[in-house]
Amino acid sequence: MPTSIYLIEDDALVRDFVLRVIGQRPGWRLAGYSPTLTHARAHAAVAAADVYLVDLGLPDGRGEDLLRSLSRSNPGSELLVFSVFGDESRLIEAIEAGATGYVLKGCSGEELLAAIEQIRAGGAPISSLLARLLLKRLRSVQEAQVQAQQVSSDLELAVSAILSDRETQVLKLVAQGYVNKEIARKLDISTHTVSSHIKSLYNKLAVHSRVQVVRIAQARGLV
Amino acid sequence: MRGLLRALERVEAWVWVCLLLGVLLVGLVRVSMPRPVPGAALIEWATVTRLGGAPQEARRVKLPHVWDDEDPPWQGEARYEVSWPPGLAAQASPGAPLSVYFPRIGARYRVLLNGALVDAAYWETPGYVDTSVVPQVMNLPTHLLKPNPLDNRLVIEVRGQLLRKSGLSPFSVGPRDALESRFEHVYVWQVHAAWMVVACSTLVALLAGLIWRQSGERSFGFLAAASVAWAVRLGLSPLVHPPLSFELWFYLHKLSYSFYCGFIYLFLWDLFGHRGGRLRWLGISVLWIAPVWLAITTFSDNYNLYRIWTAWLAVVALTALSLMFHRARWGLDQNQRLLLVAGLVTVICGGRDFGVIQLGWRGDADLRWMPLGSLVFMLTLASVMVQRMGSYVLQIHQLNQELEHRVRDKEAELRAAFDRLREAERRQVLEDERRRLTRDMHDGLGSQLVQTLNLVRSNGPVDARVVTAMLHHALEELRMTLDSLEPLEGDLPAILGTLRRRIGPALDAAGVELDWQVEEVPPIEGLESRGVMQLFRCLQEVFANIVQHARARRVEVRTWHESGHVLLSVADDGVGLGAGFRDGGRGVSNIRVRAAAIGATVRFHDGLPGTRVEFRFRAAPQADTA
Repeated sequence: MPTSIYLIEDDALVRDFVLRVIGQRPGWRLAGYSPTLTHARAHAAVAAADVYLVDLGLPDGRGEDLLRSLSRSNPGSELLVFSVFGDESRLIEAIEAGATGYVLKGCSGEELLAAIEQIRAGGAPISSLLARLLLKRLRSVQEAQVQAQQVSSDLELAVSAILSDRETQVLKLVAQGYVNKEIARKLDISTHTVSSHIKSLYNKLAVHSRVQVVRIAQARGLV
Repeated sequence: MRGLLRALERVEAWVWVCLLLGVLLVGLVRVSMPRPVPGAALIEWATVTRLGGAPQEARRVKLPHVWDDEDPPWQGEARYEVSWPPGLAAQASPGAPLSVYFPRIGARYRVLLNGALVDAAYWETPGYVDTSVVPQVMNLPTHLLKPNPLDNRLVIEVRGQLLRKSGLSPFSVGPRDALESRFEHVYVWQVHAAWMVVACSTLVALLAGLIWRQSGERSFGFLAAASVAWAVRLGLSPLVHPPLSFELWFYLHKLSYSFYCGFIYLFLWDLFGHRGGRLRWLGISVLWIAPVWLAITTFSDNYNLYRIWTAWLAVVALTALSLMFHRARWGLDQNQRLLLVAGLVTVICGGRDFGVIQLGWRGDADLRWMPLGSLVFMLTLASVMVQRMGSYVLQIHQLNQELEHRVRDKEAELRAAFDRLREAERRQVLEDERRRLTRDMHDGLGSQLVQTLNLVRSNGPVDARVVTAMLHHALEELRMTLDSLEPLEGDLPAILGTLRRRIGPALDAAGVELDWQVEEVPPIEGLESRGVMQLFRCLQEVFANIVQHARARRVEVRTWHESGHVLLSVADDGVGLGAGFRDGGRGVSNIRVRAAAIGATVRFHDGLPGTRVEFRFRAAPQADTA
């Protein structure tokens, strides 16, 4: 599948590594490169890449801000967070900002390619900690919406739709340390379905977080 | 002008009261100067004859004639014959209506003019009657009068009552208008004034009683009791025909007066700062002796016993007054001065009444000062009480304010201490965490990096794959430390899931299949980031043993929940513990020490084949929401 990739990363070594790895796949190309947040704000969205690789620790700002604007301007693109440690507390914020996956810096070239292919194929990486946090966040969003609905009945969003039973099952199993293959076997579904469940959960968290932010802003009279 | 006002403001209340009472006394003296009733004749001599079974010889007596003063005291009836006052004929215009005015006569009486009955006051009324408590006036019908005034014969018959000083006082005969106006004047003084004081005393008693119940302050109780006693005393006094037997009336009348005196002394004792112990003794003695003494007096019908009692009360009153003056040498406050002045005025009133009535001092004996004097005293007591109450309220307010201040200060102190403590705790936690992280970095990442550095620096050829593996390992160490800092909240499956990411690749590389049988279990009590790291290290050790020594093909990780405990087992199908297993071996003892540090027990089983390591944790108490 031909894939254009845009890299937002201040480290030249990492840039070279990514360039080298992309070169291994025919049809893949680097759509652009931004070493700073300011540069990325000006050029990344226009490049309309399939995949954006975003470093969270940019020299002039937070990668999360960029994720938020990219998820709005380029809804069809995949936003892959490039992180050194993959610490889940920060990742969950990135997902709320619109990231659809993450890949650890220091990974091998094969791992990077696998991550990009997985995300292009509709899957999403996850860890048990991340699943745990995701479950918690989505539940709290759901509770907040239930409470909001008790106050005013004219909410457009169907609250029960946030987390389906199957999604909850998948998240719980991931949180218990099961890998996608085991989950697929346990729930009698394909590994691809497991991945797409997870990806849709990322989207839901991003969407609902956004909705919640807007709603809070409305409540405070900011919008 | 303003300076004068300010100077007046500095004058203390007792001085004002002193001046006012002085003016009142002067007014009283002026009002109650003896004034003959214009046109009337005062009759001071009579010829008395006892009726009934008593000796019947006639006797000329000077009025007042008091039966209780006779020896033995008179009882029954007596007839007073009075010759027509010669002066009256000259002064009264012929044909004008005449009246007789008795300031004190009783207990019952009737008047006969020239042998015909003019009128009778309660002569045949059953029960106890005493007409002597109020002035009496009786009209003389004109048609009974003889043409020659000196032919008129006035007869007054009296029925006596023992102990009531029955008999006849000097009385007036004269023009009806003048005598009726005199009667009304005296009636107001003796009866209306008494009722007014009764009303005031009742009010003071009610207020003082209520305050006493609310505050429990003893002096208010004394004042209430004294006021009740005084109200009873004055209420009983002007009743000509009370609905009581004589004995009961007499007993209550005298007892209430005694109680009034007793409670007043106690009140004064309390007010004068408890220093006058003798005052207290006097008050209590009056309160205890009065009921007995007066009962004896009532049943013995001996007026002398009552005289002794009144003398005793007078001595007590004088003693109390002198004690108060004696106390005054230590210095008096405003209230005490005020009371002293009022007390003095009351004593002057009582002394004046006694002097005028009993000792023949100059003054109108019909106009008694005592009701007014007692009213002044009562009102002074009430005002003192009000002031005292006011000062209590002020004191309480001040105390409350002080208390509030102190509570606020203490609260602030407590908050500061609490903040300091929390800050210290926070620092301690930070310090502990810093030490743990430093130790972890030192033992894990640091040593890994040093090894790599040494390898790179060694003179021999450097294998890039080895260096990569070592750096990879270092990075994994760092990631594990970061994982332990995530908010895992004692969630064992999530901890194991996190660890799986780290150990999974190593097991894969060693060709060991991982059988993941982790189930949801309750959170583990007190398993924070430090504990998570300990658990990571324990399991690292266990898995390292499996990979390096067990020669296992399969390893099963299982969690379950059993009677308040969370269990975790790691079982392999390798060579088992075997003969080489040493319970105190370094690896095993490390696991035991780390497990103990997080409150877990650990057991090693020979699985035949393989080894099973079982950890047992205490589950956190579940919320009842499930």
